Amino acid sequence: MKNSSKQVLKVAFVGNPNCGKTTLFNAFTGANLKVANWPGVTVERVEGESDYKGQKLKLIDLPGIYSLTSYSIEEKVSRRCILEEGIDVIVNVVDASSLERNLYLTMQLLELRKPVVLALNMMDVVEERGMEIDMHRLPEMLGGIPVVPVSARKRSGLDVLLHAVVHHYEEGPKEGVVVYSRGLEAKIAKLTAAIEKKYGRQENDRWLAVKLLENDEEICGKYPLDLPEVLDRSYENDIIGGKYDYIEEVVEECLFGKEEKAAFTEKIDQVLTHRIWGIPVFLLIMALVFFLTFAVGDFLKGYFEEALDWFSALARGFLGEIGTADWLVSLVVDGIVAGVGGVLTFLPNIFILFLALAFLEDSGYMARVAYVMDSVMGRVGLSGKAFLPMLLGFGCTVPAVMATRSLESEKDRRRTILVTPFMSCSARLPIYVLFAGMFFPNASMVVAYSLYVLGLVVAIAVALIANRVAPTGEEHALLIELPEYKTPNARTVAVYVWNKVKDYLTKAGTTIFIASIILWFLLNYGMSGMVTDISQSFGAQIGHFLVPFLVPAGLGMWQIAVALISGLSAKEVVVSSFSVLFGISNINSAAGMSALSGILAASGFGPVNAYALMVFCLLYSPCMATVATIRRETHSWKWTLGMVAFQVLLAWAAAVVVFQVGSRIF
Amino acid sequence: MKLSEGEIGKTYEVEKIDNTEQVTRRLEALGMTGHAGIKVLNKKEKGSMIIKVRGTRWAIGRRIADGITVREAQG
Repeated sequence: MKNSSKQVLKVAFVGNPNCGKTTLFNAFTGANLKVANWPGVTVERVEGESDYKGQKLKLIDLPGIYSLTSYSIEEKVSRRCILEEGIDVIVNVVDASSLERNLYLTMQLLELRKPVVLALNMMDVVEERGMEIDMHRLPEMLGGIPVVPVSARKRSGLDVLLHAVVHHYEEGPKEGVVVYSRGLEAKIAKLTAAIEKKYGRQENDRWLAVKLLENDEEICGKYPLDLPEVLDRSYENDIIGGKYDYIEEVVEECLFGKEEKAAFTEKIDQVLTHRIWGIPVFLLIMALVFFLTFAVGDFLKGYFEEALDWFSALARGFLGEIGTADWLVSLVVDGIVAGVGGVLTFLPNIFILFLALAFLEDSGYMARVAYVMDSVMGRVGLSGKAFLPMLLGFGCTVPAVMATRSLESEKDRRRTILVTPFMSCSARLPIYVLFAGMFFPNASMVVAYSLYVLGLVVAIAVALIANRVAPTGEEHALLIELPEYKTPNARTVAVYVWNKVKDYLTKAGTTIFIASIILWFLLNYGMSGMVTDISQSFGAQIGHFLVPFLVPAGLGMWQIAVALISGLSAKEVVVSSFSVLFGISNINSAAGMSALSGILAASGFGPVNAYALMVFCLLYSPCMATVATIRRETHSWKWTLGMVAFQVLLAWAAAVVVFQVGSRIF
Repeated sequence: MKLSEGEIGKTYEVEKIDNTEQVTRRLEALGMTGHAGIKVLNKKEKGSMIIKVRGTRWAIGRRIADGITVREAQG
């Protein structure tokens, strides 16, 4: 069969998790999608464009799957795309260094009778391990499909792959290759005949027959057949066995030097996944991450502060000189520059934090954390895998919430989503840096780290209580692939960090910018128009209304109430609000800090109050972007708003306890 | 014997998988079938373990390990 040429070819990248699909996709489309060394990074399908010698291609990156069943969200997304979207060519990305397991999906794809091109990725790893793949025999044994060695990281073999995609499309699909036992083949023959009789000629009739024998829910629903003597039980086990038997033959004939040299990974694992040291090592690694974030970040931030001081003075001078109205000068300098600039000075800390997280994610350690934390998570009714989204939450809660898609059960997902916001995301970092620096100058790092640990403890405690109150009663079985360790790739890390820094800058330029302007207006206008006395402003009135609630938590100042409300837009805004509220031009500098702590101390706000404030900021409602993401992932406003209310209450209660107990001790 | 009773460093063969249908199907799809050897690389007191099947390393929880019946592989 020859397919006629088409204007735009639809090409889907399909493969096991963590085999390099997204790296390959990035290489073709110039996109900068996130890649890392743990299974399940991609949770959504993403489209991009490319072309090969005038042939336009639409490339689709899909979440990684181990088989074409439909148990997890990833499998559903990928399977639906392959089956229902008129994909012209499937690029089956295969991790050559673990050929045996990867070929299982390949066998299923071949049964679909769609054109398949095999992209043999990670050939460099194969060579490093002293293994060889017979590139003549392999395509022969796969029914003559093109097999193209590529290196997504080194960007080699890319043109050859595109050529194969275009060429193979014109050639049309090949036949499947796996031959099952005689009994099964007889059943398949009967089923294909019955399918043709009832539903007409189907291109993928063999695949449908196999799926019927596997008792696949979706296919059995779509193509019901009344053949009880053929479909007397599920033959899934036999079919899987048949495929693996053939794969063993392929590996036997095509893979040489199978002696594995994975000693490196095993040695590291002896320490990192040690049955006793695993958890202490993990805590130590996280402590190191935060030490770097604070120490190195602090070292760099001096330059940012000087630049901000300089810019602030320049803006004021320039605007004054061109005769700008006083209120506008104030808006720009006291509102925008102080608010946005104040947040920007934390960029070095953010940069280091994400650099460290990028290393963790790309090294292969992430998946190990799921194993190390499995027993702890098991006690709260979740699997160790649920810890991965929580760990990502140290960076940003939005992708962390999306990462819960890799969890199989909907109840587990919601429970994980409920506790993930308690992990201190990077937006809370400026709050800790500022207040720990102001009120605990000798122990700022310890105080900040204590908040990270507190967030973790609260998350686990909430999960524990939730599990006691409403046990999900489901199996919480950990099952996750542990990839080989590797040296983090410079490009991957650079892209990762750059994306995060860009997000931070974008947020400073949008959310924080707008929040600062709104706040400036609220503080400079009152019932009587523009006010000179800030306590007559709208902002003060709103704040005063909330003060009675915040008094027991030691946060009974209207300015704090306003800052906390503003912080709902993004948590950095708490910091920028303090700049605007108290008229501090460079809040993160030594001078700015001492000015602010002086003002606060004058109204009786001491270290205990500061700690209560940090605890409140840690626990109370996540930012708007997170709330919107949670709504999207749970499809329920009711649940989402309930969660927000719960978190605000919890934050309030925790801050009250901290203040009431703390102020009696100190 | 159960896989969870396996010793570090030894290789076992699957006899029977007895988990929820979903987990069982998944384990089979990952290659835990027939004569595939399961090598125990690491294990914790609580029973979660790291195993290697068909060249791939997996971390599995206790419940899964309990539900896999194995026998010691020959040689």
